Amino acid sequence: MRLVGQSVKRVEDDRLLRGTGRYVADVNPPGVLHAVFVRSTFAHARIVSIDAAAAGRSPGVVRIYTGAEINAMSYPMLPMLMLPDLYTPLVKALSDDKVRMVGDPVAVVLANSRAEAEDAAELVEVEYDPLDAVPDIATGLRSDSAQLWEKADGNVLYDHADTFGEVDAVFASADRVITERFSSHRQSNQPIETRGTVIEVDPVTGHLTVHGATQTSHMLRWGIAAYAGKRRIRESLKSLATKKERRAAFLTAAKKFTTDNADALKQSDNAGAAHQIKRDKSTLLHMNRMGLELLGQEDFPTVVAQDIGGGFGAKGAVAREDIALATAAIDLGRSVKWIEDRIENLTDGGHAREEDIEISIAVDDDGTMRGMKVDLVIDHGAYPAWPIGASLASAIMKVMFPGAYRFEAFSMRSRLVATNKGKYVAYRGPWANETWARERIIDVVARELRMSPAEIRLKNMYGPEDMPAAMLTGPTLDETMSTRATLERAIELIDRDELASLKADAEANGRRLGLGLACYHEAAPGPPNYNDAISPGSGALSNETARTVVESDGSIIAYTSQMPHGQSHETTYAQVVADEMGVGIDDVKLVWGNTDKTPFSALGTGGSRGGPLGGGAIKYASREVRRLVAEKAASMLEASVDDIEIVDGNIHVAGVPSRGLTYGEVAGAVATLDGEAFSHNQDYRGKGDGGWSCATHVCMVDIDLETGTVQIPRYFVVEDCGPIINPAIVDGQVRGGVAQGIGAVLYESAVFDTEANPQTTTYMDYLMPSATEIPEIEVHHLETLSPGGENDFRGVGEGGMIGAPAAITNAIEHALAPLGAKVTDQYLPPTKILELAGIIDPDRSSGSS
Amino acid sequence: MKAPPFEYHRPSSLDEALGLLAELDEAKILAGGQSLLPLMSLRLGRPEHVVDIGDLGILDSLVVEPDGSVRVGALVTHRQVETSAEVAAHAPLLHAAAPMIGHRPIRTRGTVCGSIAHADPAAEMPAVALACNAAITAVSSRAAREIAAADFFEGYLQTVIEPDEIVTRVQFGPWPRHRRGAVVEQSRRSGDYAIIGLACWLDIEDNTITDAALSFFGVSDTPIRVAEAEDVLRGQAPTQSTFSAAGRTAAGVLRPTSDIHASANYRRHLAAVLTERGLAKATAESGETR
Ligand SMILES: Cc1cc2nc3c(=O)[nH]c(=O)nc-3n(C[C@H](O)[C@H](O)[C@H](O)COP(=O)(O)OP(=O)(O)OC[C@H]3O[C@@H](n4cnc5c(N)ncnc54)[C@H](O)[C@@H]3O)c2cc1C
Repeated sequence: MRLVGQSVKRVEDDRLLRGTGRYVADVNPPGVLHAVFVRSTFAHARIVSIDAAAAGRSPGVVRIYTGAEINAMSYPMLPMLMLPDLYTPLVKALSDDKVRMVGDPVAVVLANSRAEAEDAAELVEVEYDPLDAVPDIATGLRSDSAQLWEKADGNVLYDHADTFGEVDAVFASADRVITERFSSHRQSNQPIETRGTVIEVDPVTGHLTVHGATQTSHMLRWGIAAYAGKRRIRESLKSLATKKERRAAFLTAAKKFTTDNADALKQSDNAGAAHQIKRDKSTLLHMNRMGLELLGQEDFPTVVAQDIGGGFGAKGAVAREDIALATAAIDLGRSVKWIEDRIENLTDGGHAREEDIEISIAVDDDGTMRGMKVDLVIDHGAYPAWPIGASLASAIMKVMFPGAYRFEAFSMRSRLVATNKGKYVAYRGPWANETWARERIIDVVARELRMSPAEIRLKNMYGPEDMPAAMLTGPTLDETMSTRATLERAIELIDRDELASLKADAEANGRRLGLGLACYHEAAPGPPNYNDAISPGSGALSNETARTVVESDGSIIAYTSQMPHGQSHETTYAQVVADEMGVGIDDVKLVWGNTDKTPFSALGTGGSRGGPLGGGAIKYASREVRRLVAEKAASMLEASVDDIEIVDGNIHVAGVPSRGLTYGEVAGAVATLDGEAFSHNQDYRGKGDGGWSCATHVCMVDIDLETGTVQIPRYFVVEDCGPIINPAIVDGQVRGGVAQGIGAVLYESAVFDTEANPQTTTYMDYLMPSATEIPEIEVHHLETLSPGGENDFRGVGEGGMIGAPAAITNAIEHALAPLGAKVTDQYLPPTKILELAGIIDPDRSSGSS
Repeated sequence: MKAPPFEYHRPSSLDEALGLLAELDEAKILAGGQSLLPLMSLRLGRPEHVVDIGDLGILDSLVVEPDGSVRVGALVTHRQVETSAEVAAHAPLLHAAAPMIGHRPIRTRGTVCGSIAHADPAAEMPAVALACNAAITAVSSRAAREIAAADFFEGYLQTVIEPDEIVTRVQFGPWPRHRRGAVVEQSRRSGDYAIIGLACWLDIEDNTITDAALSFFGVSDTPIRVAEAEDVLRGQAPTQSTFSAAGRTAAGVLRPTSDIHASANYRRHLAAVLTERGLAKATAESGETR
């Protein structure tokens, strides 16, 4: 029986639910030192002095490093995504001259226990000279606000406009223009497991093993190799000159990369890099030094990551803390461990989505939406996330903003504003607010034109008859962009009679009922020109490699460069491999997260790549290995390879299963030195065009007008991620995303006061929805196949979170519109609900929710 | 999030515990630890000594006295109160409030007396004690005294308890036959501390309210009874319009503040809503008509 398509039980559950998972906090190399960071208590200040003398005498303390000491031994982190008009500040591991947020690390204490390190950290005396704080976008845009980064233009790090089509003409000729300003609040990607890193130093060789909770094991490896533990330039040059093999190996790898990515590289332009270097000339200097450092280094760290308790984008990066820890470990020659606590995590583990969006729609009276203009401002926080953060989010938003609709023209201005707050990172569907703002204003437009939300969407949406087509912003659309089919199915699933009776009942009892829907498509992974639309040439990073092996004893092992952290790769990949190899799911072992063993991938897990790219690589690697096995078996059985069948691990000539061989028998007949009888490495960049995942979300809300409580009596999603590997796992991904969307609208808000002091640093204040707050979420599947495509899997990890905020806020506006409410904020706690309904006034002194 | 250094004591008798408290500086009693330990881990609480009263078996009794009053010893947990049929019968407000506290694991460790001693103004138990004017017994090596709940709470996390005193029990007086009560609250999520809550009761004889208590939590720096609103109720029939009038009065008298979870106006509005709902619930559950 084929396993792909079945709701096979998760193979990882047994281990995780019994408490035998192994997380980074479980890693304790002998003699490991515990690190605690001394963090700024000011949002914005100059560091006058740091006195660690008393702290150094505290029991159990081994060493305290100040920012200046760490920075003298490490390189600043350099920008990765360089967009035209973007300036990305270089970031030092620890701050040494100035702090830019509460929680900014300025020193690190290493002690024999975590408790002793915390005791000592309190004794480190830092003298600050406070500066004015920039707590929000509005202050950041003012020309007289205190400047965070001296090489920026005020506090604006990016100001860029793009135009697609004849925007002015379309706006001039449309029957009306409808404009609205929307504002989304700061949220935090909250994994159950906080960040954490253990740098293990081999006492003999000095080799570093980095145990991390990371979505990108190879990126972490290179990041630490590049930035931590600076060596003398002269040494690098010398080692480069003398080590011929290293040089040759490097040149071969570089050549392979340029050949494999010739098309992508031809696309890339240098405007981004030119802009960055113009703003900060030291970028080039550091880049060259770092390149030399990498070339001259003989021993790269090994990254080992095992079980990870969630990430949602917050662990897709190399942290400043990682660089400081590795630098300290190299300097001391001792292993060090840092497990972030929840206060640190809520302060700077990763924030997202704080955006102001002004949006105008040019529409004709018959409901034809013709043009869209967007002015986006992102609250970037103090430090750029490495390697990608707000800048990438804005670039993707630009590409995806028109959604599944046939606009004639579109323009967008994007700005990033630095504020004294935590860094903006990619959060599950990092561009999701384009869906939120667009789907919100479409409801506004519908109401103004007295059309129904479904009607106006159907009128403007691409349908299968339009394919192939292209988004105004570039990416090719084909049948896999099936948003319209999901909407049509959703409309069938709404029970109008039931709705009417529930509505009447609610109104008779001091409540209001509303129904909201939201439609989107997402690149999962999207067509090749999607990457170029974001940033020309960025497709060069999209390769995934997998490796399948049959060992001499017949064991089947698949190696992936993906980094599972809740996506169930162990199950879904085993399903794919088992089907290819003709064995059961228990016969396949998946190996991930150890950079000495797993193939390279720049990006790791993120961006809905696991199913389509990682899954494709592992499928074709396995298929090739099966072919090799069948060839060998054919010769052993004296048959033609075309007649070989493998069923339940029995390798036999078709029709003669009784005379079959096992994998062990075939593999045992192959002479090997390394114990690998058969193996194949497979690169994979996707199947070409297509690769869209789509959905329509429908949310019903029931609002208590006395208390402002919002209940969700029904929520359903009609999703289309193509052929499904495991329906139960897809349902779980969708539900988890919707739960985060419900959290975003009703519960979660990372609040700062007017001096940029964080107000939500524990779970008493940052409210995560728990099981009791999440309703049953129905998931309905469509499985559109792409024309002529094999390996048609599409990503599904992000969509739940993309659709939910729009569907929920649309439902709330629908419920409260008769009372005159217009929903322009994404965060709608009970106080706000009653203000919208006109039941209470906003407090006169502002500063509350 | 590790507590600063402290010395841990686990006395095995009440006398030993009282001796320790008399002798040690900066000592804190540890009961269920559900408030004290988080504060210490956040380094907001820094006792030098922690005196764990968990071994003082003498404090673990939950007893209904012959006169119907309910005596709750210092080690009695929220969960014990929640699951006791005796408490349901004789101290219905205490019983009604317990399940609203946190989640079950918290309730199986957290104590009623600890909650009252801790005096979080948003907590249920202090407001219930105030509504019932429970008697709180505090013992030190110097003396023992009984304090009426009305005199017990002084401010945010502050009571009249001296550092060398242990609250050994809280006693809820007999619940009159004609008394109807309820606890209602509004919180952001299930299990959260209330944004605002109300413990209330009415004495109803011949369809007339003869006495009333409205004890709010989450709206001031202590639990607070609103005498003006209670006055509105006395002498009236227990009708929806009476309840609304009392609610309006309460909303007018209370001066709640804003925080990140709710605005002051929201809390004031909810004071009226909860008064109506609480009193309606109290009378509905008793079979009395509105
Ligand atoms: C996640 C979470 C959610 C919670 N939600 C709620 C909620 O919704 N509502 C609510 O009311 N509470 C809530 N709590 C707190 C819980 O109710 C605690 O049990 C209670 O506040 C304190 O009781 P304790 O026995 O744990 O006291 P401890 O934490 O041991 O002590 C608290 C304080 O009281 C003092 N103290 C304790 N016992 C005595 C005594 N016998 N004599 C003198 N002083 C004493 C201690 O010295 C300390 O200062 C929550 C706790 C957590 C962790």
